[in-house]
Amino acid sequence: MKIIVDNTPIECKEGELLINVLLNNGVEIPHFCYHQDLGADGNCRMCMVEIKGQKRPQVACDTFVCENLEVFTKTKSINEVKRSILELELLNHPVDCPICDQAGECKLQDYYMDFGLYNSHLTTPKTKKGKAIDLGSNVMLDQERCVLCTRCVRFTTNITKTNELGIIGRGDSSRVAVAPNRPLNNPYAMNVVELCPVGALTSKDFRFAQRVWFLDSVKSVCHGCSRGCNIHIDYNETKYSDEKVYRFRSRRNKQINQSFLCDYGRLSYRELNEKFNSTSWGMESFKELLRAEKKVALVSPSFSLQQLQAVKEFCKNYNIELFSLPYADESFGDDWLKTNDTSANFTGVKELNISTCQDKFNSFLESSELVVNFDHNLLKVKELENKKVISFTTSKIEIKCEAVFAIANFAHESGTIINCDGIRQDFYATKYRCEAPRLIELLEELQ
Amino acid sequence: MSFSFSEENNLKIASLMKRYPQKKALILPLLWMAQKQDGYISEDAMQVISEHSHMPYMHVYSVATFYTMFRLQKPTKRVIEVCRTLSCELRGSQEIKKHLLENYSDSYEIVEVECMGACSGAPMCTLDGKYLENLTPRLLDEVLNAN
Amino acid sequence: MQTKIVSKNFEIPHAETLAVALQNGRYASLEKLFTFTPQELIDIIKASGLRGKGGGGAPAGAKWQLVSDFEGKKYLVVNADESEPGTFKDRQILAKDPHLLIEGMICTCYAIGSNTSYVYVRGEYEEFSNILQVAIDEAYEKNLLGIDAKYPVEITIHRGAGAYICGEKSALLESLEGNRGHPRLKPKSPEPEFYFGEPTLVNNVETIASVPFIVENGAEAYTACGTDCSPGTLLFAISGHVEKPGVYEAQFGVGMWDYIQELGGGVKGGKKLKAVIPGGASTPILPAHLVYEARLDYESLKTIGSALGTGGMIVLDEDASMVKALKNLLRFYHHESCGQCTPCREGTSWVDKTLDKFIAKTATHEDLEILKSVSKSMNGKTICVFAPAASGVIEGFLKHFESEFLECIQ
Repeated sequence: MKIIVDNTPIECKEGELLINVLLNNGVEIPHFCYHQDLGADGNCRMCMVEIKGQKRPQVACDTFVCENLEVFTKTKSINEVKRSILELELLNHPVDCPICDQAGECKLQDYYMDFGLYNSHLTTPKTKKGKAIDLGSNVMLDQERCVLCTRCVRFTTNITKTNELGIIGRGDSSRVAVAPNRPLNNPYAMNVVELCPVGALTSKDFRFAQRVWFLDSVKSVCHGCSRGCNIHIDYNETKYSDEKVYRFRSRRNKQINQSFLCDYGRLSYRELNEKFNSTSWGMESFKELLRAEKKVALVSPSFSLQQLQAVKEFCKNYNIELFSLPYADESFGDDWLKTNDTSANFTGVKELNISTCQDKFNSFLESSELVVNFDHNLLKVKELENKKVISFTTSKIEIKCEAVFAIANFAHESGTIINCDGIRQDFYATKYRCEAPRLIELLEELQ
Repeated sequence: MSFSFSEENNLKIASLMKRYPQKKALILPLLWMAQKQDGYISEDAMQVISEHSHMPYMHVYSVATFYTMFRLQKPTKRVIEVCRTLSCELRGSQEIKKHLLENYSDSYEIVEVECMGACSGAPMCTLDGKYLENLTPRLLDEVLNAN
Repeated sequence: MQTKIVSKNFEIPHAETLAVALQNGRYASLEKLFTFTPQELIDIIKASGLRGKGGGGAPAGAKWQLVSDFEGKKYLVVNADESEPGTFKDRQILAKDPHLLIEGMICTCYAIGSNTSYVYVRGEYEEFSNILQVAIDEAYEKNLLGIDAKYPVEITIHRGAGAYICGEKSALLESLEGNRGHPRLKPKSPEPEFYFGEPTLVNNVETIASVPFIVENGAEAYTACGTDCSPGTLLFAISGHVEKPGVYEAQFGVGMWDYIQELGGGVKGGKKLKAVIPGGASTPILPAHLVYEARLDYESLKTIGSALGTGGMIVLDEDASMVKALKNLLRFYHHESCGQCTPCREGTSWVDKTLDKFIAKTATHEDLEILKSVSKSMNGKTICVFAPAASGVIEGFLKHFESEFLECIQ
């Protein structure tokens, strides 16, 4: 079936929501309340379009497509309609963009530049509402910046079903709020910050940390558990400091995480900024260590397929018995995104036929003189008696080692991982080079 | 929990439940019931109503704040509501309001409200929810001094 | 000038009690009711031309048909959320002849095939809903209602709690479901309302109260009154600057000025007429010269740029300030906007605040432009007709009385 949008035919299915068709086909359609993973609500009135044969403009989020539907999104009259609604959305907004974290990724700003560009002619005082309200779970609310699109309310009502947020009051004193003594408290709470199309909800973690236009972004996959939620890594490098990752943002993947992330995964970016020391080493002493007769290696189940393959070959060359053990945390998983398997690529480990037998590993460990740890968490904290240890690591090692090789973490690597449902996903490296070498290159050097 | 419905009200709730297809519909009747019982709707009352209606606390709270007749704070004085809408204003509601504020604001909470549907008896007000129509300052004095 | 169909028993003492009600013809229509099939009854209502009396004036029969066409559980909800400023007619029925409403509800439930009904009464009408409750209890006792009645009907009173918007039928149903009174998005093609997903008929108190007369006397007796397009009568109400404010039932089509003079007793204190708001606050104001030629029916008021609405006239005399009157009404809209959708939430507050500058006589020409442009922004873009109504009110005042606003400009 086809509809005609601004004189161009677009292929779609009968009964699909018009706004969805427009968004999927890259037609710009301003909207606040509609969200592809929260559905339509119809309150913001921003997505108005002209429909041939209809007297009045219609909202695209409450129009279902049918044969021969002819839609206009850019005519002079519809732009005037959008301008007038935008003016009302912005009317009582404090226009404090210089101190607002949303600036640069704010829909109010974007739409104002697209078809606002009027001078304010408010001649009466603005409506005052609450500022800097701590809602809990790292989320801060500025009611004056809010356009009452209710995305956040619908998230806690329909998605997490935790119901902390609601609209209270009526008319122009309506506002988003939590009930007294009942703060936002669920493992997915920070999604509301990302869902908020304006600067009303901001993250305590990111507040005032960085201007978004100074951030670069790269497509990646969260390594916090085996779900493999799709993310953007937002990072930058300033003149006198190293690259820093500022936040993870969800990257929409309808099959896996829709537009959401758990707070644990979202905040796990912090580990990527950790600083730690590697020991100096010489090729000779390294080779000397590898001359030991009985050797065992343990590789992280969060390594990419490419890294696992390189480790596998390295171990084969040096005649090292290679194992991987899963990261399991029975208290971590839930019935939504979080899984009890907190490794990113255990499915990949199994696919590459790396042994995962705990008993076998234990007995090899018992009899080995040398242990090579490829970034596995278990051997970062567990002291091994009478054994020599070589560690390749992306984070600080708590135990005594003969050699510690710092290697680049996943923000600096490109690779492929397979999630708990067998979906293969690529992730990409940030563009700045970190001090620590990438594992694959390092292993080539050490061959 | 410092709020519970009275024995009598609990019986009423049991029979009300049968009159609606879903428990959620009990929210407004139960908010009224709580307000009648205590003079206002406390947080604890909303919690009890949330349990009766099988709805989240936030939903009950959100509903309670939408309707202007629900009071979430304990009133300290008796309430007089003065209608301020057009038919009353045309017939002197401003004078009534002034008279009330000047003479009775110590002992009564004087609230302005929108049209109460008593335009033929304008100007009007309510005392404890009861309509007083065709008001004059003198009539007000008589009623309030008799109460 | 009065024609008493609905208000027939209003003057009879204690007509709210079942005994007196029965003596005065209440429930007589039930004898005839069961001689008709439900569909025959709907056809009679269609033939009577009965129109919704809550303000919209939509044909009642067509609405009944939509619900009746569904199988299974259905509801009747009576809208007694009468909150339109200048409107106080439904309360007369609740207080003076509640059995007429109950009788009408039984007829209507039978016609549409429903056994469960609610009366949504505005919270402020506690006194009147108590009277209705007593009447309902009596009717249950005498098996006019309940499972032992000839046609079983349950009636439950549901009290609102102070929200004008709940008079909008979808907001009313939201409220009846236990939600905030936010109007729902409108369907694209004719369909009934839905209460918890089941088809539901929502009618105004007076509409339902008009049904027993039609059942008893036939459609033609009803169409004998009123005009071709607006048959029957309405409980017109009159308030403001008149000698005898009140509710007086009259046939559609009577002259507005005649009504004001004869039933309303003329402009108060013998002053000259300045304007009339014809049918509740939401209908555009008419200046005196249009009042003299206006007739009280849907069509003729539409041709002179206003609407019949609820038929609640507010009369303003020569000394009334149009600026103050508009400020009063816009304050009402600002206070009562549900806040769900943007143009209404922000627009009603903006125009209200802007009017303050006219009251203070500190307005500028820009402020007048704001009134006009915001009024335009509120029209045709919202979920329900609340904001367009506010917009029509502003346009009416500015169309006929702009000079008074210009006088307030510095």
